[in-house]
Amino acid sequence: MIFLFLTSGLFLGWTLGANDAANVFGSAVGSRMVSFTRAAVTASVFVILGAVLQGSGAAGTLGRLGSVNAMGGAFTVALAAGLTVYAMTRAGLPVSTTQAIVGAIIGWNFFTGNAVDTGALTQIVTTWVTGPVLGALFAFGLYHLVKISRRRIKVHLLKYENWLRMGLMVVGAFGAYSLGANNIANVMGVFVPSIPLESADFGIFTLTGAQQLFFLGAIAISAGVLTYSRKVMETVGSNLLELSSEAAFVVVLSQALVLFIFSSSALSGFMVRIGLPPIPLVPVSSTQVVVGSVLGIGLYKGIRNVNLKLLGSIASGWITTPVAAGILSFLLLFFVRNLFGIDVGHAVSPLSAGGAGANTSTIIRYSIPVLLLIIAVYLVYLVLSEKKKTERLNKKYYE
Amino acid sequence: MSLFTRTNRELSIRIDEFFDTIEIGVLIFKEGIKAYVNGDDSAFQNHLAKIDDLEGKADKLQRSIENDMIVHSILPQQRSELIKLLWQLDEIIDTSKQSLNEFYIEMPHIPSSMSHEFISLAEVSGNAAEELIPAARAFFREPHLVREKLIKVYFFERETDKAAFQMKKKVFHELNDLSLAEKAHIRYITHHIESISDSAQAAADMLASMAIRQML
Repeated sequence: MIFLFLTSGLFLGWTLGANDAANVFGSAVGSRMVSFTRAAVTASVFVILGAVLQGSGAAGTLGRLGSVNAMGGAFTVALAAGLTVYAMTRAGLPVSTTQAIVGAIIGWNFFTGNAVDTGALTQIVTTWVTGPVLGALFAFGLYHLVKISRRRIKVHLLKYENWLRMGLMVVGAFGAYSLGANNIANVMGVFVPSIPLESADFGIFTLTGAQQLFFLGAIAISAGVLTYSRKVMETVGSNLLELSSEAAFVVVLSQALVLFIFSSSALSGFMVRIGLPPIPLVPVSSTQVVVGSVLGIGLYKGIRNVNLKLLGSIASGWITTPVAAGILSFLLLFFVRNLFGIDVGHAVSPLSAGGAGANTSTIIRYSIPVLLLIIAVYLVYLVLSEKKKTERLNKKYYE
Repeated sequence: MSLFTRTNRELSIRIDEFFDTIEIGVLIFKEGIKAYVNGDDSAFQNHLAKIDDLEGKADKLQRSIENDMIVHSILPQQRSELIKLLWQLDEIIDTSKQSLNEFYIEMPHIPSSMSHEFISLAEVSGNAAEELIPAARAFFREPHLVREKLIKVYFFERETDKAAFQMKKKVFHELNDLSLAEKAHIRYITHHIESISDSAQAAADMLASMAIRQML
């Protein structure tokens, strides 16, 4: 039953992987600097690492906004967010998973009579604005730095391209890690309060209950990356963001830095230790940070290069997405409770624990090594097929 | 990644070799014209054989560079422009070889009063092509220097045009002892020598816009 409820979250994870991996590797793949297989494998591995190792910070903030205390509620909230993302994408409207899940949680709060934590909401909304702005600032500064360095070091264009190729892989891996760390909260955050799992000890490492959920969510994201992101990556790289390799490198690095900043508990703790206010750990829309970064590069090249339509699309997404997701969440919760009689949560939230949690723990504990094995086999297959392709292409056609 | 490093290193060596070949080809062309005009047949034959070899080498290098760039997906964004640039540079050595071949086949009669003009036309047209090579090399290492290096190319191209114009004018207005066929032949040969600097200018235009895009 728990796995059935988790399907909506996993679907959300799959859509996130299919769409948002393009923000990390889209420019590199679209411009043929990095092969899709290499990008997809790297993104999958690092999304899982980021989600499991660093995903708890942003998920905690979403939990403060609304601690969805029934599995039925979590399922419906994730479903509402997923459907909103799907419908708005189909309609060609700017949409972000982050904003959809926040709207859906607020819809749950309204439906169950829970008060919305305005502090957490303000923190989240502020980050929506600061994310793209920070992305633009980072991109502006980094692009300047890259250009200055290129001029100083006088490296051959081919060698430089080689460095960029490697750089794109490294920052892509960092970007995927940050995406997993920051955006796993969107996928699995709502399930954490309602599915309390026991910690699982695997001998060399231990996964907490939340980390096990994050792992499952990250697998769904990886599945999205491996199965459906190719088209999106190629479209992003060649049509929407016509970026040079240097600009692509800077955009991915800026995005990775912004996402990392808003998901790193260690960095936030460091800020507190040196007497500065803590960094809010909030899921940020990777797409909007990428758009912000592209605008930053446009700003560097001259103000006339800034597409004001893009700014408008970001701002409209801040309002339309959460409102649409909130209304849909409210309506779905109504139907799920009244039509199917499923508990979707209540105003006062005592945490349920016990048998179900223990059983699920056992299932998840055994499913994780199986999933890891499947991934390993799939990765080996991908690497081998890539090698075969390269060998075929390496044939000399001239003498 | 090591495959890319190795391929890129080999490719940059081959690109440099291609530039060397074009540069030497232009020098041989200038020497060839000088030898023909001065009536040194053995030197002319020698230069003709050399430029033939160099043209073949340049073609081979051009094809291998193109092939590796496509197969290994090197410089995917600038690739088509770079390939066009290589083609345009190859056009210089092709035209040089063709010109020398035309001298060999058609054996144009160069009046002694025009010897100096012919040598300096070949010199100045070749200079335009020669000055292009440092600019093309700079594109790969210091794209911001390309435009200033191209100034000389444009200068020599204008000088070539002026010299060719004066020569054609002299042939048709002053050298009345030449037949119309001889005049037309000289005009044709002049035009051929002139076309080397035109090819250099076309390559310079491409290089200039590519360098601007690199700097943005």
